[in-house]
Amino acid sequence: MRIKLTSIMVDDQDKALAFYTGVLGFVVKHDIPVGEFRWITVVSPEGPNDLELSLEPNANPAGRTFQEALLKQGIPATAFEVADIGAEYERLRARGVVFTQTPKAAGPVTIAVFVDTCGNLIQIYQPPG
Amino acid sequence: MLTHDALIRLCRARECLREADAAQGIHALAREAGFSTGVFIRRFSAVFGTTPHQLRIASRIDRAKRLLAEGGASITDVCYEVGFESLGSFSDLFARRVGVAPTAYRRRWHVAESLVARSPGCLDLMAAAFARFERA
Repeated sequence: MRIKLTSIMVDDQDKALAFYTGVLGFVVKHDIPVGEFRWITVVSPEGPNDLELSLEPNANPAGRTFQEALLKQGIPATAFEVADIGAEYERLRARGVVFTQTPKAAGPVTIAVFVDTCGNLIQIYQPPG
Repeated sequence: MLTHDALIRLCRARECLREADAAQGIHALAREAGFSTGVFIRRFSAVFGTTPHQLRIASRIDRAKRLLAEGGASITDVCYEVGFESLGSFSDLFARRVGVAPTAYRRRWHVAESLVARSPGCLDLMAAAFARFERA
């Protein structure tokens, strides 16, 4: 058993694809129309290439309620690891990304939190060493 | 940096914009959220990826899609129910955004789809996407 796929709910798949590829820099792995929606996955160009993030439409009202509650409570929906959080913070800020937490030490890691424009807070973290 | 308090105020403004009977203008919403109109529109767009006005329109179209899929109400009733004042502008806008006219959209759901299919989960989409390859 392996972890190869994870997902994040987004309020608009077009907007999500633009943000996760054009702003964050992930790369499209799948983009297949399915009725009103699409099966969209992205991977990180920094690897691993076979670990996919699905941009899942939050069309289900229960999912939307959950997503909105997390956002209002300031709780990140997921977290991505970065090698240099200071550089990543500056890169994303220059692209208009809004941070709710600037880089700060949290025990052995450094974290920051930003808004993904699709209804989520995303945490980035730089591991120690 | 956006404070948690400001984020909550923007979330509340988004909720107001989504309400069917909310007739509040953008200036009033901005004032209620504690921002000048210009700052409100900029912050809102940076956080939600769309302007307040566009979010209100998108919410109305979404609600219209749900009502049409459920059946029952006439196109005119749906138009007024979701907050449009003219049937012509509703139909035009709906067709532009959704790709089909309201009548065709409703027919499609009545004939072929279940309401469950309107809110598929991640793995439902994957299964349907890969099934297309198998059929091809």
